[in-house]
Amino acid sequence: MPDDDLAVLVRSAQGGDTMAMSELLARLTPYAARVCGPIALADGPDATQETLIAVFRNLRSLKDPAACHGWVRAIAVRESVRLARRSARSIPVDRLDHIPSRGDIEQATDVSDVLARLTPEHRAVIVLRDVEGLDEAQAAELLALPVGTVKSRLHRARDNFRKAWGV
Amino acid sequence: MTPNWPVPGLDPVRRLRVLAAGISGAALAERVIPLPFDRLWGIVSDLEHELGTFEVDMRDITLREVDGRLEAHARGRLGFRARFDVQLEPGWCWMQSRFLMIGIAAVPVPNGTLVAATGGFRLPGRAALFPIGVRRANAHALARLARRAAQP
Repeated sequence: MPDDDLAVLVRSAQGGDTMAMSELLARLTPYAARVCGPIALADGPDATQETLIAVFRNLRSLKDPAACHGWVRAIAVRESVRLARRSARSIPVDRLDHIPSRGDIEQATDVSDVLARLTPEHRAVIVLRDVEGLDEAQAAELLALPVGTVKSRLHRARDNFRKAWGV
Repeated sequence: MTPNWPVPGLDPVRRLRVLAAGISGAALAERVIPLPFDRLWGIVSDLEHELGTFEVDMRDITLREVDGRLEAHARGRLGFRARFDVQLEPGWCWMQSRFLMIGIAAVPVPNGTLVAATGGFRLPGRAALFPIGVRRANAHALARLARRAAQP
């Protein structure tokens, strides 16, 4: 959807037009689900729902409709990590630099199995890098981490990942 | 090779929970009705003949398509007339007039169909409903729908 069309839809929804809200929800749902799914895994539907509830409850606070996707992305990461940590379905790894590279992810036959072996925070870094295409600085800002931490986690991960899963 | 990332869907009832949460004063009623989804949605989506059986304020509903969009003209129990914009698709019905809003969603569940309803009188210029009695009204609408669904 062109940004101009999305901006019009956001403005209409902010103005109380519930048809526009419904249409905006249909537009934003695939995007929120794309971020929530790989982080929240089994809690993906709940994370997507909670993300969009937070979005629509606070829609009037979004001053720049052009920033809509980035705003939704930040909420989606936060809600997904929160729900995944609460359910404790992940099998935590003991090393914070233990994040598979993009190539390792692409070679894995079952990406959900690979993701399930990581903490929600690790999965968030992977999603921001591989799904959202953010660089280290952007991911660090969104995750409120020092950029050096994100960079080192990403760059030192490949060997550890290959040892663990043999890809 | 492109990874097959897990991407969840948002079923219609979850979708309605989201929209209701974004509308000040809105309340959501949910109920499992022991009828298969296709049969239940066959009743709900027949707006012209069935909407008035469970949304009792709605009478004489006529649907028509205008510029690719669906709209309904309805007369209320007290005689008011209203034009509604309508979104109608399997498991989803969203209707808005200047002063009213109605939302109904349904998904199949193991023992029938989970149905959710929200709606009420809109406050002008805001995503807000007049907050008195909306929860009870929505629950009553679903109770009437359950009674209608129990009929042959």
